[in-house]
Amino acid sequence: MNVLLRNSIRRFTLPRLLFVVVMLLFAVFMLLPIVFIVSHAFKPYDELFVYPPEFIVRRPTTQNFIELAQITSGSIIPISRYLFNSILISAATVLLTTIISAMCGYALAKQPFPGRKILFATIVLMLMFAPEVVQIPRYLVVSGLGLMNTYPGHILPLLALPVGVFLLKQFMEQIPNALLEAARIDGATEFGLFLKIAVPVCMPAVATVAILSFQNSWSNLETSSYFMQDDYMKTFPYFLSTLTSNLANNVARQGAAAVATLIVLAPNLIFFIILQRRVIDTMVHSGIK
Amino acid sequence: MANIRIEHVYKHYGKEKHPVVKDFNLDIRDKEFIVFVGPSGCGKSTMLRMIAGLEEITEGGIYIDDQLVNHLPPKDRDISMVFQNYALYPNLSVFENIAFGLRMRKLPKYEIELAVKKASRILEIESYLSRKPRQLSGGQRQRVALGRAIVRNPKLFLMDEPLSNLDAKLRVTMRMEIIKLHQDLKTTFIYVTHDQAEAMTMADRIVVMRDGIIQQIDTPERIYSLPSNTFVAGFIGSPQINLIEGRIQANARGDLEFVTSRLRIAIHEANAELLRKHERVDRTVLLGIRPENISLEALFSDAVITGKYRFTELMGADRFIYLDIGQEQLLSARVSPSVRFEPGASVRLGIDSLKTLFFHPDTGERFAD
Ligand SMILES: Nc1ncnc2c1ncn2[C@@H]1O[C@H](COP(=O)(O)OP(=O)(O)OP(=O)(O)O)[C@@H](O)[C@H]1O
Ligand SMILES: [Mg+2]
Repeated sequence: MNVLLRNSIRRFTLPRLLFVVVMLLFAVFMLLPIVFIVSHAFKPYDELFVYPPEFIVRRPTTQNFIELAQITSGSIIPISRYLFNSILISAATVLLTTIISAMCGYALAKQPFPGRKILFATIVLMLMFAPEVVQIPRYLVVSGLGLMNTYPGHILPLLALPVGVFLLKQFMEQIPNALLEAARIDGATEFGLFLKIAVPVCMPAVATVAILSFQNSWSNLETSSYFMQDDYMKTFPYFLSTLTSNLANNVARQGAAAVATLIVLAPNLIFFIILQRRVIDTMVHSGIK
Repeated sequence: MANIRIEHVYKHYGKEKHPVVKDFNLDIRDKEFIVFVGPSGCGKSTMLRMIAGLEEITEGGIYIDDQLVNHLPPKDRDISMVFQNYALYPNLSVFENIAFGLRMRKLPKYEIELAVKKASRILEIESYLSRKPRQLSGGQRQRVALGRAIVRNPKLFLMDEPLSNLDAKLRVTMRMEIIKLHQDLKTTFIYVTHDQAEAMTMADRIVVMRDGIIQQIDTPERIYSLPSNTFVAGFIGSPQINLIEGRIQANARGDLEFVTSRLRIAIHEANAELLRKHERVDRTVLLGIRPENISLEALFSDAVITGKYRFTELMGADRFIYLDIGQEQLLSARVSPSVRFEPGASVRLGIDSLKTLFFHPDTGERFAD
């Protein structure tokens, strides 16, 4: 133990130490917003309005949670309905987006077909568009398809994830052809190659796409506000945001708002942490260079 | 159990004009060990991949057991293949890697278990069945790749330079194991390599290729002693065969001699007949002689060659000396390792004139009966 410690200390040369310190500071800096949001949710009212604002809560309280619970219990539609909507929509979106992106990436990377270059270029081009640009066309499409007030109206607009396709295509291009050929000789079908070889080998990228897709769909307010007129079709984050919107100059409900932010953020964080372990795990295990 | 017949096979990649494989004809008998050998880029892998079904055949036909397989997908050809980079599935354990092909064929569980155990016993990889490929050394990975190939009992094994990523010593060991495997399994093997030592030690018959064209198909012994042209002669054998350009002349007694500006070598009766038949008298030829057929002892007194000693290469049991005989290339000869010379010394060597080969100076073809 002692030897180990001494060895690891000796390995810390000055430039290395400096590097670690800088990276640590950087990591702490990246962590600040999350710390702030968590700590904010536990602040009593007087601390919420301290100026300049303080990072860390001094006298933590659950009063804000109670306040939020009171507000929500006043709503006509039970909160569980919003939660159900959110979970269903996010699960479906993550599942479908990941499958679609992976299949599309695989086809673009490993299945030569005419026009795949131009198709990929188009997808990359779509990365450039800000979501606001496509809002109106999207509205027209969704209403044209008669998807207003339906779950597909929530899910469909989020399925196309150009970043996901791009990422998976790049990853799958790295799979050695010999690997697929070996599986082909071993008797795998073309779909088997995809499912049994390509996806497991690219698991880090697949998990990353799942994370991106979850973030994209969980906190999405757009579909609820534009495509859903009926309240019972709206999502949980949307519901929370309406509770606490227009608060810019308002003292009331600030505590509830702080908790709402935390609740919307938390699943993102948890989903990321779960999958992140998987990402690192597969990166370590896959023998690809 | 498989005969393979390859008839007039051509391969063009895309719209390339120049074929990568040209008019390839080969009959492979059941249980034969065939080695494709040739320099890099000569189309060995391409030919092998066409047999495997991984590459389309532009023209011609490939038959396995008299069934035309041109359009049969790889999985229906009952073959297995070992790749240069092993191509093990990184996400699966060694056991699952070997079992993969059986699972794809939906074999019952206990049969898979049994087959994998048996294959891993043969290759001595039982102790790391639960490991992932990345936790294995190169040699172990190669064994797993072999295990994956033999577990299905295919009728044909294809191997594309399976040993080229291993170090020299391991390569020799694995070479022996593959020979043993071939003897035990009694299956047809096609093996691709650019290593002539592998080709010579393993093959029943060697197919020497160059630029997509077969140069010679023959047993290792005949490839070595009777190469069909200068390319095959030069490609097989180390150090390379000596090629000397000169003229064929008849001397006063009417016997044929091989003459260069500095040499005059008597030609053996059998060869003289051959050269007369091909009308090479008073014309130039290339004389080929392997280093081991040149000796210091004055055994072959009628064919003597003199040169200036340049340098030596000691190979353990043998020493090769290199002499300047006024040609572009130095002449190499095998001598006893105890012999030493001063640089620049004049050395007299005898040539075994029965072992000399004669090639056409332009086409490189050997003059044969
Ligand atoms: N997919 C391809 N598209 C176009 N040309 C190719 C392709 N694959 C191989 N070639 C060309 O075909 C020729 C033969 O390639 P091949 O891989 O069969 O050579 P090889 O004899 O196996 O060489 P090596 O010993 O280096 O493996 C080469 O000139 C190569 O450039
Ligand atoms: Mg090759």
